[in-house]
Amino acid sequence: MSSELIQASTKRLRAIEVSRGMKTMIGALIALAVICEIFVPDSVSKGALLGMLPFAAVLAIISLGQTLVVQQGGIDLSVAGSVSLAVVYVTRLPQQQNSQLWKAVLVALASAVVVGIINGILISRIGINAIVATLGMSSLEYAVIMAISQGSPRRTTNLLNHIAANLFLGIPDSVYFAVIATVLVTLFLKRSISGRRFEAIGASPRAGFAAGLKVQKHQMVAYVWAQLLYCLAGILLAGILTQPTAYQGDSLVFPSVTVVVLGGTSLLGGRGFPAASAVAALFLQQLNQMVLTLNVPFGIRTLVTAIALLIGIALYTIRWELVRARYREFTSKRKVGAVSA
Amino acid sequence: MSNSPLVLSNISKNYSGVAALREVSLEVFAGEVHALLGENGAGKSTLMNVASGTTVPDAGTITVDGQVIEKLSPKLASELGIAFVHQHPAVLPDLTVAENILISIPRKFLKSSGSANAAMRTMLDDFGLNVDLKERVSSLSVAQKHLLELAKAFAIRPKILILDEPTAPLGQESVDLLFDRVGRIIKEGTAVIYITHRMAEVRTLAKRVTVLRDGKFRGSSLVSDITDHELLTLIVGRELESTFPAKHVSASSDQEFLRVEKLSSDEFFDISIEAKQGEIIGISGVVGNGQSALLRALAGTASAQGEVTIGGKVYTQKDLINNVAYMPADRHGEGLMMSLSVRENAALKALHSFKSGLLVNRNREVKTVTDSLNSIAVKTASVDTLVSALSGGNQQKVVMTRALLSNPTMLIADEPTQGVDVGARAEIYAILREIAQKGIPVIVASSDAKELEGLCDRVYVMSRGHIVEKLEGEDITEAEMVKAAVASTTLIKQKSENETPQKKSGSIRRFIKGDFIPPVVLSIIMVGLGIYIHSKNGRYTSSFNINSVLQLVAALGFIAVGQTIVMLVGGMDLSVGPMAGFLLIVASFFVHDGSKMTSIIFAFVLMFVLAVGGGAMNGVLIRYGKFTAVAATLTAYIGIQGVSYMLRETPGGYINQNVSAKITGSLGPIPVAFIILGIGSFALEYYVRNSQWGMRLRAVGSDEESARRLGIQINKTVISAYILSAVFAGFGAVMLMAQLGIGDPAQGTSYTLQSITAVVLGGTSLLGGRGSFIGTLFGSMLLIQVLNATTFLGLSQTWQYLFQGLLVIAAAVIYTTTRASKGKK
Repeated sequence: MSSELIQASTKRLRAIEVSRGMKTMIGALIALAVICEIFVPDSVSKGALLGMLPFAAVLAIISLGQTLVVQQGGIDLSVAGSVSLAVVYVTRLPQQQNSQLWKAVLVALASAVVVGIINGILISRIGINAIVATLGMSSLEYAVIMAISQGSPRRTTNLLNHIAANLFLGIPDSVYFAVIATVLVTLFLKRSISGRRFEAIGASPRAGFAAGLKVQKHQMVAYVWAQLLYCLAGILLAGILTQPTAYQGDSLVFPSVTVVVLGGTSLLGGRGFPAASAVAALFLQQLNQMVLTLNVPFGIRTLVTAIALLIGIALYTIRWELVRARYREFTSKRKVGAVSA
Repeated sequence: MSNSPLVLSNISKNYSGVAALREVSLEVFAGEVHALLGENGAGKSTLMNVASGTTVPDAGTITVDGQVIEKLSPKLASELGIAFVHQHPAVLPDLTVAENILISIPRKFLKSSGSANAAMRTMLDDFGLNVDLKERVSSLSVAQKHLLELAKAFAIRPKILILDEPTAPLGQESVDLLFDRVGRIIKEGTAVIYITHRMAEVRTLAKRVTVLRDGKFRGSSLVSDITDHELLTLIVGRELESTFPAKHVSASSDQEFLRVEKLSSDEFFDISIEAKQGEIIGISGVVGNGQSALLRALAGTASAQGEVTIGGKVYTQKDLINNVAYMPADRHGEGLMMSLSVRENAALKALHSFKSGLLVNRNREVKTVTDSLNSIAVKTASVDTLVSALSGGNQQKVVMTRALLSNPTMLIADEPTQGVDVGARAEIYAILREIAQKGIPVIVASSDAKELEGLCDRVYVMSRGHIVEKLEGEDITEAEMVKAAVASTTLIKQKSENETPQKKSGSIRRFIKGDFIPPVVLSIIMVGLGIYIHSKNGRYTSSFNINSVLQLVAALGFIAVGQTIVMLVGGMDLSVGPMAGFLLIVASFFVHDGSKMTSIIFAFVLMFVLAVGGGAMNGVLIRYGKFTAVAATLTAYIGIQGVSYMLRETPGGYINQNVSAKITGSLGPIPVAFIILGIGSFALEYYVRNSQWGMRLRAVGSDEESARRLGIQINKTVISAYILSAVFAGFGAVMLMAQLGIGDPAQGTSYTLQSITAVVLGGTSLLGGRGSFIGTLFGSMLLIQVLNATTFLGLSQTWQYLFQGLLVIAAAVIYTTTRASKGKK
């Protein structure tokens, strides 16, 4: 009997579960690195990497937020407005005065919380379709952006530029922000009480409700955390770019959804894999870098994103064993048909 | 044998090795009611699914009218005149009563008495269904939906009519009416198979009765030749190979611990239960008689009136949620998070006890969970194994571990041994007994009377939401429980019995809740806005401005109409904007000044061929690739945009001016394209409400499962909707050709958001099933008007964004809250 007992394994190794999405993305990243090294060495030169990493970090931070929303069965297209808004706050409000930066950051964070709460109420309480609510919200955020900046933000303050773009031990600071954010989000999900409940509700809202958990509250919280992460990403982006536009978030919406899907989180909701999303962000950014180095037109780069998304979804949603069975059935039928003909 | 229209002989059916039917035979005769009796899981429904073609038997023959049917499909069954009224009506909530009839009944049955409407009215009146034909079915009560199903089945004068527990949701008057109609239809020669659990109904209606048990034929007889007692002995006597723990030995010191007083909701009525410490309480009854609803109320996940007292303390619903452990019957859907690990599932309700500092202490959690799992011998490779990898019995034990770890004040278990093997069953019984001995009241609901007989110290039998019997001690036997259930004659209580007259001014209420109020409201807003802008700037109403605004409306309108079609089937097409942009680029290669006529014609053909291809790709990915609508069309959005940029990195390719002039041609100030859009919207509106195609479209969006049962081809319908959406994006692209005059890859994408906004403004539901093309037309007009207004009022871009955002959110909030009573999520 004792042999059947489960051993209480407290080995630390088991504490870190490696999801399928994570394995896939690490594999893909290694493969990509090898391909780049052999065929497009310029795309992995030190300069290229230092240019790519900050943007990968920004995308990774956004994808963490998107993962939280998607795992609750939602989708957040307000990334466009939210990132742009954060950029505009931290460039417009301080007027290039370092001493004013912290105020701008506080305003940006407060605004993010408000946006997140409104999104959450609209979607989880009132029950509005997530796409409609977040697209509408993005529009409202752009109204604020236009009101503040008339469409043209200022230069970044030197301090912010220093914080975001400085190299520490040879690695851009923004990467540390992304790593810390990833660790914190993972720790929240795996080790905090509300994070564990959050994850359980994402995995099955019905079972969460039956277990007496507050489903709506947790679903709402996802949108608030997401906004805070977009806000952080926007602030870093303003620092990295030094001369950002007012539409900086627009080009990040679809990549953010793409990397979440690549990381293995289903658009139907379920279990969320924030760390895998972050790795996927690095993958997608490097893929972009490679294509960019090859000097192919913008169209092909866009197409590459689409194909990555398509493969990502197909990888996790199509039930391949069924497809194989169908194919076998089909081919055997054809053989029979050929014989009878 | 012309008077036995249906003979089933030696039917066998296995489900993954478990025999559901073993060589069961049944012969039904024309002009009489044949009752089919048996406990849950006796095989009645499976047998009837075989008879109606939905289940293919492993062995046995089906003979209809003397002809042996090789392979009976649902379609063939209905052609042969076999009608089946299921326990859960297959109605389409977003369609009207009339549409629900029209979509499923061949027109020839509606020709008898003049107009189709008159025929339908007669048909409903016949069942006392006093609702307007234009009423949306979602606003009907459960009983009314059921009567609608019965009316539909009777109207086609079937040769064989199968009724599955038809009286379950009905009140007294409707039951009388139904019995009368059954009497009438058998006089016309129909054979009726009547599934029931109630002896009284058998005596009233049936001439013959057949009893099944454990998938086996137990006996068949003329009703007049058999006594109630004999029938009961045929029904009961299931063998259950399981061992039960010893029952509670009552002592005088036992105190009453649990008291439920007059608990009521929509599904159960005046339930009073009491239990002493150490007892296991059983809730018996045929599945679906209010047991699960009662348990949910006791667990606090549903509200009810009445009082629950545990250990002398009155528990509110919130207290119940926080203190009662609940094991739902649907283990995969409600009991467990299947994609999480054993540990995560088990620890869910006890996380606070592992807390150290801000975080959950992993070592403590693993140790406690492991100990608890071991204490009830859960077999799993490790605590971090996914719970979905465990057997049914072990999964149930994980649910129990969660309950145990939460230190509950009461344990509620709904069908705790469903899908659990014999060995694990005994263990689960032992665990339940152990919990009860600790002084925690345990309430177990089970449709398996034998299980309750072995396990419980006190059993309440429920029927139609009422407690009809209370059994204690020696009386707790399967026979007593079944007897109480089959002998009961109680009926469900209904707040608004169908017979009560409809609220007055039904048509006004319907209009306000209907699809045509949005256009009315939108026009009022538009006129008001127009007057205001005109007062500020007289040029606003110049024919030039009206013309240019309506040109813009035409472009958006066509795209939004396509979006509406997709939303009617419950989907969403994010790719419409890039699709329109892409088709414009395609045109910009062929339609230049000086291009030959053939080249121009070729361009238009190519545009629409590509649109059909793109739409089909979306549809196929969604239906066959099982992509969500968002996933598929988002991929298409990015991909199509990429292709556009590949074809033209920068704007280029001027569109032929003559072609542009044709497209923008006007009658007075009104563009021809807008007139076409207007007429098209009204035509589509009519078509989607009155044609079979339109009803199918809405049926799929309303309730896919019901639509499938009605024989609608879901895949075909959905894919065609996406193709049409892309084709309408093509019409939008034609408008863009003239408006932009050049192939610009950056254009088009904004139409995705705008089309969704227009559709939402027009009142189309994003849940599918209901919407209006006229609403979409007006929504497009208002959106363009607002965007145009900002320029005339000298407002900045800020206001454009603000209005666009506010419009869509406000519309979504208003429609969602006013229609919240729909009960659809």
